Amino acid sequence: MAVPASRILDLLKLRASIFQTTFNPTGARLGNKILRQRLRGPALAAYYPRRTATFSDLRKLYPGFETYDEFEEDRLEGVMITKSRGKGAPKKKRTAAESKKFQGKKRR
Amino acid sequence: MAQFRAKKLDLGCFVNIMNIRDHTKRKVFEAHEPERQALRYTIRNTSLPQRTRAQAQLQLSQMHCYTRPTQIRNRCIMGGKGRGVFREFRMARYQFRLNALAGNIPGVKKASW
Repeated sequence: MAVPASRILDLLKLRASIFQTTFNPTGARLGNKILRQRLRGPALAAYYPRRTATFSDLRKLYPGFETYDEFEEDRLEGVMITKSRGKGAPKKKRTAAESKKFQGKKRR
Repeated sequence: MAQFRAKKLDLGCFVNIMNIRDHTKRKVFEAHEPERQALRYTIRNTSLPQRTRAQAQLQLSQMHCYTRPTQIRNRCIMGGKGRGVFREFRMARYQFRLNALAGNIPGVKKASW
């Protein structure tokens, strides 16, 4: 039994409206797959942990409050040890001329 | 990069210029993703006039490179390394090993079977 094509199209249209799908009988490329994709911006942006409260923030907010910053104390101890051995950081050169003073001296 | 970089650093993990740049790229991509998707849709929609599609193509190509998702790379949050990074732990191989042996990663122990 030959069903007219218009009847089938009407059926498809009705089906699409009932089930809330798209109606595209010719299969024309309309780019709807881009609209269906979920956005991944927020998921990617949450990769690196954000900065919360730090010791420097605490020290700024509560000046008299005593905090013990483990990493900072260890670092300062290391600096004191190297200084006591005489291997601390060199003195900062004040002018450009001072920094260039030893640049041209070649080792023999 | 200067126009997108945050005035105050908001990274809590290892801070490295590469990590800062990657973080900036991720934030910029998040901000511009809807626009990019809209342009991509306009380009791929064959029922629109050729002129609008060509204009959309041009506009998409002229967007800043920081808006592109392909520029984003998963880096190690402990060392900033770009290669050998596990997705589940967000760390590179050696940092993963150090932390796993120290017991800092829950549920990871030495394999033997």
